[in-house]
Amino acid sequence: MDGKNGLWVIVERSANGFRKVALELLSRGRDLAGRLGEVSGSRPGVWAVVTGPGSAPGTEELYRYGADEVLMVCHPLLEEHRTDLHAAVLADLIRERSPGIVLFGATAWGSEVAPTVAARVKTGLAAHCADLRIDGRGLLVQCVPAFGGKVLGEILCPDRRPQMASVRPGVFQAVPGDAPAGEPLVVRPELDDDDRIKVLEVQRREITGKPLEEAEVVIAGGWGVGSRENWQLLEELAGLLGAAVGCTRPALDEGWTEGEHTMIGTSGKTVRPKVYLGFGISGATHHVVGMKDSGLVISVNTNPNAEIFQFSDFKVVADARAVAEALIAELKAGKTS
Amino acid sequence: MSGLKIAVCIKPVPSPDQYHRVGIDPRTKTLVREGIPTVINPLDKNALEAALQIREKCGGTVAAISMAPPAAEENLREALAMGADEAYLLSDRAFAGSDTLATSMVLAAAVKKLGPVDLVLTGNESADGGTAQVSAQLGEWLGYPHLMHACGLEVMEDGFIRVDTAREDCRVAYRVKLPAVVSVVRTINKPRFTSLMGVIAAGKKPLSVWTSGDLPVDENFLGLEGSPTKAGDIYQPDLSRRCELLEGSAGEIAGAVLQKLRAAGLQL
Amino acid sequence: MDFSFSKEQELLRKTVREFVEAEVAPMAAKWDEEDHCPVEVFRKMGELGFAGVFVPAEYGGAGLGYTERAIILEEVARHSAGLAMFLMTHQLCVAAILEFGNEDQKKKYLPGLASGKKIGALSVTEPTGGSDLANHQTTGELADGWWVLNGRKCFASNSSNADVTVVTAKTGTDEKGRNVLTAFIVESGNPGLSPGRKESKFGLRVSVMGDLVLNNCKVPPESILGGQGKGQRVALGTISEVGRAGMSAISLGIIRACLEDMVKFAKERNLYGKPISTLQAVQFSIAETRVDYEAARLLTYKALALKDAKQRCDLDFTIAKYFSTEAAVRAAKRNMDNMGGYGVLNDYPAGRYLRDALATLPSAGTSNIMKVIVAANTLG
Repeated sequence: MDGKNGLWVIVERSANGFRKVALELLSRGRDLAGRLGEVSGSRPGVWAVVTGPGSAPGTEELYRYGADEVLMVCHPLLEEHRTDLHAAVLADLIRERSPGIVLFGATAWGSEVAPTVAARVKTGLAAHCADLRIDGRGLLVQCVPAFGGKVLGEILCPDRRPQMASVRPGVFQAVPGDAPAGEPLVVRPELDDDDRIKVLEVQRREITGKPLEEAEVVIAGGWGVGSRENWQLLEELAGLLGAAVGCTRPALDEGWTEGEHTMIGTSGKTVRPKVYLGFGISGATHHVVGMKDSGLVISVNTNPNAEIFQFSDFKVVADARAVAEALIAELKAGKTS
Repeated sequence: MSGLKIAVCIKPVPSPDQYHRVGIDPRTKTLVREGIPTVINPLDKNALEAALQIREKCGGTVAAISMAPPAAEENLREALAMGADEAYLLSDRAFAGSDTLATSMVLAAAVKKLGPVDLVLTGNESADGGTAQVSAQLGEWLGYPHLMHACGLEVMEDGFIRVDTAREDCRVAYRVKLPAVVSVVRTINKPRFTSLMGVIAAGKKPLSVWTSGDLPVDENFLGLEGSPTKAGDIYQPDLSRRCELLEGSAGEIAGAVLQKLRAAGLQL
Repeated sequence: MDFSFSKEQELLRKTVREFVEAEVAPMAAKWDEEDHCPVEVFRKMGELGFAGVFVPAEYGGAGLGYTERAIILEEVARHSAGLAMFLMTHQLCVAAILEFGNEDQKKKYLPGLASGKKIGALSVTEPTGGSDLANHQTTGELADGWWVLNGRKCFASNSSNADVTVVTAKTGTDEKGRNVLTAFIVESGNPGLSPGRKESKFGLRVSVMGDLVLNNCKVPPESILGGQGKGQRVALGTISEVGRAGMSAISLGIIRACLEDMVKFAKERNLYGKPISTLQAVQFSIAETRVDYEAARLLTYKALALKDAKQRCDLDFTIAKYFSTEAAVRAAKRNMDNMGGYGVLNDYPAGRYLRDALATLPSAGTSNIMKVIVAANTLG
């Protein structure tokens, strides 16, 4: 097996294993490979391709979520933040092994490696796909958002190979299967370094609070929340509900919340919680795209014509602060009674 | 280090605060964006601001480059008014339909024609397409080292810059050898407002138009024909829901909301 | 006849709009509510060249004209008519010194005023009224080589925050016994100059308005602006052209705010299952506002084109001011009607537009005064 015409998922490593988006892509890749088998008569193998300084533990997870094969690409220089070197070895491998499809997670790492690889192998790349499917000719149809998600467009790469796409975390769901784990194939490529790029320092950031992607309830706050004090109320409410707090760009700009990693929308996270509670959110397309697949959507806004109401199951026309306070009071009363 | 020659790539995009007005003509299946003004892609303004700050500190020149239809002259004038020294509009029917690989090829050809450029800056992504692919691919076409997600930029000792980049859970600082391509994120700076004096000066600054024939382009990757990706159907997802109003006092509303949460299966 | 703005003017409008949308629009309601005058925003506008837009570059200005000044005022007034009023009053002082000052005065005052480091004002009106110059009570007397000013000005915009104020005073009578006025440049810090009470206004808040008290205010003869006895010319010349141009431009901003908000609300607000923009009553009201805007715009910018071409334009500004300010009131009223009950909520700017529009009426001459002038000219 050399991976020819295979469907590759490029796996980004994290501090304690693999980024979840890789598992999401492997699960989707398994479906796509099945569909390709139906259309063309031969099902391509799904390959998880892991690059790094040494071999990674825990590969059985990759098999469980959809990989038929795991290709471990090891070189001491392949430190996490040297995206240039990761791209270089991946481009060489792709030229050597000619996969049919290559998928990347659109994390900071993936969104830097993917276009570099595509430019090196001179093929097409579709960014931030909202959906991937196989058409009747066996081509990968890549559905990409434009104008903040207001419009979706289909992208094809009919002539050049591989067909490449990147997908943001949370777009597909990671579905474990019962495939047995295999033995990863390890390759050790040749790699040179020069003085063009050097990592000077890495500052890790402590991420506090519940991760948005894992929460059953997401409380999202927008510009209408009005102040940092009111934002604290959302945090308090989240604590009581076991919810994660997300934000929109304007709330982030106001400095009411820390870090871009809690932003929901086109250039941030995609969430699909059981319940989405929106406070003071206007409903700009950029944001709606990141929450549209939520189960129950309840929105609070003082503007009776707020756009977010079009995308909500229930609306409350009121001040965010008043409703948050009432919910907190109600929950506290419930807990003590 | 003194006298950096910096090129900043500028993309004219439909004003991002009006994307709710973008739609699809149900008959022709084409994009409708009528009446939405064209502005400089917001992050490209951050890139220009970063370039201007370097020029103010170290000297040198800043060139604004745009691959766009002729009307983009207006946006390049805006870049000149903000402070760029010269502008280049890469405009040719042959460029139409370019995907990111073809676009970055043309931009690279223009940078090569500009002569020895030390630094190329771009916004991390555009507001309309949002692929975030052009800067890395531009770096590849030029054979320059390239980095994305820059939230800090500083000229170091001769021939190097320090680039701070923002990732999900960390900040990584790099030393990069010039010439290089760097794309910046919003947090790197706050773009300056354009002064009236800048507007007046812009009218006297050079703005050149280059066509395909003026540039060392790779014919194999030119325009629609040379683009590996092809656009298929476009459609508008219908995300609307039937929205019901919850009314009453704040307490009553809170009660109703919690009841909906319980009905959705939450243990409260 | 050319009715189009130049490319440079279009770019200028775009850049001003970007500033206003970022720095003014989000704060406008709060400033209005608190009647807060954001001097720091004025300073920023000064750095960007707004304060001295029509001042030649040799005196530290942007070197553009009154048309460009109106574009700036319209854009600022689109989101905060009160802030535009602040800027417009400052520019009356700038215009008076630019048009009537001698070389020394221009060199001394214009660079600071044009860059926004100094705030200017022009105070003419007295308790007896603004247009009744014959009854001027403020006096100026020459004593020991100094002019000593005494009196009280009222409805003076930028009364307490101006660094440089042009004031008028009666310095004698002519052969027919009529008051002869002289304009003086007075600087803050002069012990004889003190702001009196600050008025609480219901519209065009943000811009400070109040009394200005001159109590044995001593100024040197070099402070005389435009020559001794030429005060009426300085005051009326500045107010009737630069002042009325300013009020017209501010009104344009208010009308546009109303029009844009009406369109947005009409498209978003659903009644009987469809947006109210489908109702003919609403459509007519929007059409009327659009016509008012276009007409006010033509009158205002036509007068400005004459002014920048250094042609006679006093009557044109009188007509433009009368029409534009009244049109702003009509537009603001329609905007409220369009919104139904929401129009009266302070969550929306509709009430502020109406208050600001009404407050434009008396500035630089009431509608009745404007009609008197137009009628006199028409009847001959």
